[in-house]
Amino acid sequence: MIELQSISRLYRSDEIETTALHGISLSIRRGEFAAVMGPSGCGKSTLLNILGAVDRPTSGQYLFEGVDLAKQSEGGLAQHRARHLGFIFQSFNLVDDLTIAENIELGLIYRKGRPGSRRALVEAAMDRVGIAHRARHFPHQLSGGQQQRAAIARAIVGEPDLILADEPTGNLDTENGAQVMDILKGLNAAGATIVMVTHSPSHADQASRRIDMLDGRLVASVAQAL
Amino acid sequence: MLQSILVSFWRSFTRRPLYAALNLLGLSLGVAVFVTLSLLHRFETGYDSWTPEREKIYAAGIAFNIQGIAPGVRIGAMGGLLDEMKLDYPQVRGVRDWSGAAVIHRGATVSSEQIELVDADFLAFFQVPLVVGDRASALRDPAGLVLSETMARKYFGALDVIGRRLEISDIAGRNAYTVTAVIKDLPRNSNLKLDFVRLLTPRDVATTMGGWHAWGSVMLQTWFKFDDPAAVRALEAQLPAFVDRRVGKAFGDAVTPHEFLRLSFVPLKDVRLIDPKQRAAIEALRLVGWVALGLALINYVNLATARAGLRAREVAVRKALGGGAGVLRVQFLGEAALTIALAFLVGLAMVELLLPLINAAGGLSLGLDYRLDGAWVAGVFGVVLAAGLLAAIYPAFMLSAYQPAEVLASSRTPAGGRFGVRLREGLIVVQFAAVVAAFVLMLGFFGQVRHMQSVDFGFRRDGLYLVNATRGVGVTPQQRQAFWDAVQRIPGVTGVAASSDAPADQTIDSNSSATRLDRPTRPEASPTLSWTGIGPGYFQTLGTRLVAGRLLDLAHGGDETYVPKPDLETVTNAVISRAAVRQMSYASPEDALDKLVDFQNRKTRIVGVVEDMRFYSPTEKTPAKLYTFYGYPAYWPTGWPITLVRYSGLSEAEVRARLEAAWRQAAPDVPFEGKTALVNLDRYYKPQRDRTNLFSLGALVGAGIGCIGLYGLAAFNASRRTREIGVRKVLGATRVQVARLLVGQFLRPVAVACLVAWPLAYWLLRRWLAQFDDPVAVDPLVFVAGAAAAIAIGLLAVGGLAWSAASAEPGKALRHD
Repeated sequence: MIELQSISRLYRSDEIETTALHGISLSIRRGEFAAVMGPSGCGKSTLLNILGAVDRPTSGQYLFEGVDLAKQSEGGLAQHRARHLGFIFQSFNLVDDLTIAENIELGLIYRKGRPGSRRALVEAAMDRVGIAHRARHFPHQLSGGQQQRAAIARAIVGEPDLILADEPTGNLDTENGAQVMDILKGLNAAGATIVMVTHSPSHADQASRRIDMLDGRLVASVAQAL
Repeated sequence: MLQSILVSFWRSFTRRPLYAALNLLGLSLGVAVFVTLSLLHRFETGYDSWTPEREKIYAAGIAFNIQGIAPGVRIGAMGGLLDEMKLDYPQVRGVRDWSGAAVIHRGATVSSEQIELVDADFLAFFQVPLVVGDRASALRDPAGLVLSETMARKYFGALDVIGRRLEISDIAGRNAYTVTAVIKDLPRNSNLKLDFVRLLTPRDVATTMGGWHAWGSVMLQTWFKFDDPAAVRALEAQLPAFVDRRVGKAFGDAVTPHEFLRLSFVPLKDVRLIDPKQRAAIEALRLVGWVALGLALINYVNLATARAGLRAREVAVRKALGGGAGVLRVQFLGEAALTIALAFLVGLAMVELLLPLINAAGGLSLGLDYRLDGAWVAGVFGVVLAAGLLAAIYPAFMLSAYQPAEVLASSRTPAGGRFGVRLREGLIVVQFAAVVAAFVLMLGFFGQVRHMQSVDFGFRRDGLYLVNATRGVGVTPQQRQAFWDAVQRIPGVTGVAASSDAPADQTIDSNSSATRLDRPTRPEASPTLSWTGIGPGYFQTLGTRLVAGRLLDLAHGGDETYVPKPDLETVTNAVISRAAVRQMSYASPEDALDKLVDFQNRKTRIVGVVEDMRFYSPTEKTPAKLYTFYGYPAYWPTGWPITLVRYSGLSEAEVRARLEAAWRQAAPDVPFEGKTALVNLDRYYKPQRDRTNLFSLGALVGAGIGCIGLYGLAAFNASRRTREIGVRKVLGATRVQVARLLVGQFLRPVAVACLVAWPLAYWLLRRWLAQFDDPVAVDPLVFVAGAAAAIAIGLLAVGGLAWSAASAEPGKALRHD
């Protein structure tokens, strides 16, 4: 599904040049649940941003289902994200001024040529994460766990090919963290491909593959028995 | 998409009411000022839009190129212009409108009105709308009378009054007329005042005793119609030759008439604002409207970019979810369009609420009729929306340019970069510069208005009553004399005098060349003096200072103007004004005494010099005067003398009541007309005062908008800096220190604004003052006060905010995210 070949990412600011990724090559197959581990600043989030097409590599090739994303325009990348990707963030990133249902609907409105009722899809997604009773609330009225479940609903409402989760349990207590992991595992079991960045070894152990990073390089990529 | 825009727009009100209210209030105020001043501009430039062929109609205008006569085109012509034009150019189509005073008699009661003596096809020419009657035939009969809706109601209590009769005294004496048509009331912005209209007859022309063909006189309005603009230009090119041919030697043997008198066709739409100063004032007010709208939009940009930081995360999420920059721009511009549309509605509501106040402050009668003005309102909305969207482009592009990876990775709220901060500060500078400049101008304007009204006019303005009735239609010399005698006896009256000239009033504007006879002078190079005929006690009644020589009186031989059979050697004595001494190039007032002058074909001896008197508009130069004497009431030409009454110890109402009673006794068949000199003069000063009031209103609203912007920005800055404030306080800063820091930061752009505003305001003020004959010196205090006022308002806006931000507990501030 995903082929990364010699991906590098440099950040330049005034006089300092930082290399976040050093020639990373990686392939992810459909249906995989990959957990990316590593210390702070090792390039996990940069890798996830590149996978999510919100950042472009400085060099290297990124093929998504055989399509070279480096050649896509800004608008093309935006449509790619709308059509194929779902994002889950550590700090939820729900829009303050929108209700839970409206936030989830955001996952649909930027997709072109998608007929049918959005409302039904939003309701289905809310049911899947158990947040339907909070549909008309605003994010600040919800607990962290509920907010993250809403964010997951937003990520899955468009039935994306790939879900990218950036420390989805990082801001949650153990119990809520476990719930979120259960949802992600369920989604994976139902066929979703997931790439998750995490600091938690126990959560990483629940993935089908574990990728370790250090200083912008891949140091290990191990398939795990579930 | 539309739904998404609507939801965001609605939530901005329910979730951030302060921000939304500030934004909306600022925009609405800007819209309100803009709409009001656009209305004023439309009113002033829309004169006579009611006539369907406005574009084809032209007024005859003349301009003089003569020393001592103000330059510029006057609307009007001699009575016989149209006749003479038709002789040389038979294809010319035109009508005349000769306005005069009329007295309407109803039994024993009399009232004064204005009557128009016009050509038979006048109503058809202008396509005047009628309530009843027929345009083509209404003025065929010399005994026919056309009156307005208002007058029909006033005199008959009905509109269907064809065949009813009215007795009217006017230039043709007292006659009965039969109503043949009723005119729909014309809008207030019309150059025509059609209260009473009757046919202009040869008998009326005969009353001018040959003055009908006096080239250079401005006696009535002559209107022309041309289907083709090229025809106007073609004919206008022939006018100098026409003037030379027709005037012949009437201006003197060695004179080329068209060099002194320029005849022109003034488009009807330009007639109202023919005076460039008037037009400039109206355009300046429109500019104030644009500036107010600009300030409001600057607010919008400021608040929107400040808020952008708070929306950065939302933008990043929307982008991560597949929203492209283009879609987001549409979203933000859509939200802006909705905000502007709502602000427009609120602004219109404000206009409706404030119009009575504005009309009162500006002496106007502006109004909006949504049935008739729908297209205009839509047009103004289009302009506001276009300007608003133009302003919204920057925030929309700035917002849509956030990179999701950066925003989502950072825990801080982006401030929009150094450029954004600079831009916001720059916009605040622009905004406050406009406010400071407006304050300075406002104070400067008030200074001049006060100066104009307090300066020495050369005569005593208070305690002076002007009785116009003595020159009314049908007044006999016996009635005048009886009135003057009676007034002398009124207790409290200390002086009575007659004159063809009074403060802000004159029977005739007569300007003639004056040739010095004490040295060789070419007559065509002689300066022009303005003539006034005065009765006994004129200068004493006015309280005018004698500068040299003596005043005119009955005791001196040769003072009387009226000489039954004057010959070339008859000498008439005259008094001139100080300005005339300069105009005639005498070394000093004393030097002018006993000098002989050829004036109006009479040998005239200067026996005295008086102080200049300011009788007219403050923007007009005080004319150089020559006064001659009418010692005997019987010699006054009919319809000439205005009566000046000096009184003391009486209220205005008391003196009016006593004068009116005396008038009733003396001339019961002529209505009493009179007012104080102050009231009469006010019509020259009121327009300046009204415009200054309007400008001040605009300036104050502009300042309000500026404060809203400053407050909004300060509020956002304070909330963005909550953490910094916490850190500073943990490190030991006191509340006062933090508040001072915040206020200092808020006010820095205001201080810069003063430096920008001062030179601008100075330049504008000097230009404005240049129109006055007697401009006040520019007072530096005005600049300091204007800036101080703006800073005080700025402090008021941000002071409280800074104090409460500085008062936050550090612990709470540090937890803030």
